[in-house]
Amino acid sequence: MNKKLRLSIRTRHIVEGYSFISLWIFGFFLFLAVPLGRSFYYSLQTLEPSPDGLKATYVGLLHYRSAFTTDVHFLPLMQQTMTTMLTQVPLILIFSMLSALMLNRHGIGRGLFRSIFFLPVIIASGAVLRELLEQGAARLPIFVQDGLYMKLMTFIPEAILEPLLEYADSLTLVMWDSGVQILIFLAGLQTISPILYEAAHMDGATKWEAFWKITFPMIMPMILVNTLFSIVNSFTKADNQIMNHLMNVVFRSNNYGYGSAMGWLYFIFVFIVLGVVFFLFRRSMSAAEGRA
Amino acid sequence: MNAPGFALLKKLNLNDPSSEGARWQITVMKRSRSIIGSLFYYLVLLSLSFVFVYPLLFMISRSLMQPQDVADATVQWVPKSFSLENYSIVLDAIHYWPGLANSAITSFGSAALQIMSCSVVGYGFARFQFPGRDLWLALVVFTFLVPPQTIVVPLFIFFSDLNWINTHLPFVVPSLFGHGLKGALFVLIFIQFYRRLPHVLEEAARIDGAGAFRTYWQIMFPLARPAMLVVFLFSVVWHWNDTFEPTTYLLVPEFFNLAQNLAVFNGVANQNIDQVAQAAQASGAIVQAPTLMNQIMAGVMLTIAPILLLYLFVQRYFVESIEQSGIAGE
Repeated sequence: MNKKLRLSIRTRHIVEGYSFISLWIFGFFLFLAVPLGRSFYYSLQTLEPSPDGLKATYVGLLHYRSAFTTDVHFLPLMQQTMTTMLTQVPLILIFSMLSALMLNRHGIGRGLFRSIFFLPVIIASGAVLRELLEQGAARLPIFVQDGLYMKLMTFIPEAILEPLLEYADSLTLVMWDSGVQILIFLAGLQTISPILYEAAHMDGATKWEAFWKITFPMIMPMILVNTLFSIVNSFTKADNQIMNHLMNVVFRSNNYGYGSAMGWLYFIFVFIVLGVVFFLFRRSMSAAEGRA
Repeated sequence: MNAPGFALLKKLNLNDPSSEGARWQITVMKRSRSIIGSLFYYLVLLSLSFVFVYPLLFMISRSLMQPQDVADATVQWVPKSFSLENYSIVLDAIHYWPGLANSAITSFGSAALQIMSCSVVGYGFARFQFPGRDLWLALVVFTFLVPPQTIVVPLFIFFSDLNWINTHLPFVVPSLFGHGLKGALFVLIFIQFYRRLPHVLEEAARIDGAGAFRTYWQIMFPLARPAMLVVFLFSVVWHWNDTFEPTTYLLVPEFFNLAQNLAVFNGVANQNIDQVAQAAQASGAIVQAPTLMNQIMAGVMLTIAPILLLYLFVQRYFVESIEQSGIAGE
């Protein structure tokens, strides 16, 4: 009797759990698994619009091959996306962590500063960001005004100065891209008990030591979350060139097969990058656990 | 940090009753160091804040300018001839009111549905142990990582077979199932939030005879307000500024949202500028290329105004909610 009852509670638990997530599972097949499978299927075909719907002819890996051989845009854009990501993601992480540390300090106007730091998430995203970039609002005037450029040119050769200033401009973009990451770090910092710092202080640790021995290991998981978020974000941003290229291929030239193949190549590429990040973090995470 | 002060303390020998001045000196030193520290701290914070507010100031200032002000190098921020003309021009040019209605339906509709569905799913993951749970959870993360562009072709064909193109259904229906724009992220936020709530709450409700769904709906869901606010704001903002999905599924101007209308307006404006410039070149006359930057900036302002207003009202609770919602995860 007793045993039977316990079993039925367990079964009920399983049924209840599945009924809560069944909504998502249903959507997963409808809006992700099946489309993903179909997009792979399309990528092996050439699809042509005909009076009775799309006509498909099997072409094998032709589209995958032509991405590397015939498409003059694919590889350069891929490389460009990769370079942007590699340079910007670390900067975003460092900047958002420093900002979160500053905003976590108790001071006047903390709430106000926090609201301001999140403002770019609203302004500088999607279509609005594109307009801003086009109108030159992403360039901070200090680099253009007051002849700073001319003054610097007397010290630094133009070949170096030009990319340097471009880099400085991309820094504003990095800062605008950091809103969500700052919030994630901030939330992480809040979970660290102040007792730890007190104890470290008693033992004579400096703030510098406390950061590396307490704060850094404690927010390691947030660094992983933020790295993943930043990477995914940089791959799907509105000013991502490869995405625009893909959309042009699909909806301007109606080349569905090639578009799908490109989508898959991109997807595989994103996964390799994320896989590398996971691998690197697993090692440093287990090292951090060992220390604790 | 303390080392130099400590050395000084030793040197001055504070036990000496006559060294009143030494004690004072140390206090001054400590104070001044902390004042310099916070001065530096606020200087950095303020200059960073400037970078963040800069685009907003830029847009407001430009949107109030007349073309001659934009061209005038002596005008930096404050236009010489203040006017709201740009706004009244752009209001019509970007079909503001229909666009606003479309933006509102897709953003607020999807956000509301995502709150409901992602919360249900998140609760299921957070509070129930069932076989296959880890696998499904891994698939949630997987969903977040798949670029939407990879599956856009089959989805487009799927939705057009259902005659959903040029309706709001491609936004609303996936949201209903906990998917849609960044749906997986919202599920994860809810999972983290529900995990932190004490189990005692549900046990009490269960003992009082409430079933799993009643416990969820009456006890747990209302408690998730911080997570709801976070998800709501993210979802609204991201939907509002998104052009990828709307340009894919909404193809006739009547259904365009504000971001799309703005892009169209910008395209037309650039074309006009090119034409004028070409005509000027052909005739050999030296004509300064006209600028519509002021109008475009007014358009951008109008596009994000509703979101800015919303943020103005919720920002105070927003950051608090982030901290409570456990968005950071474990």
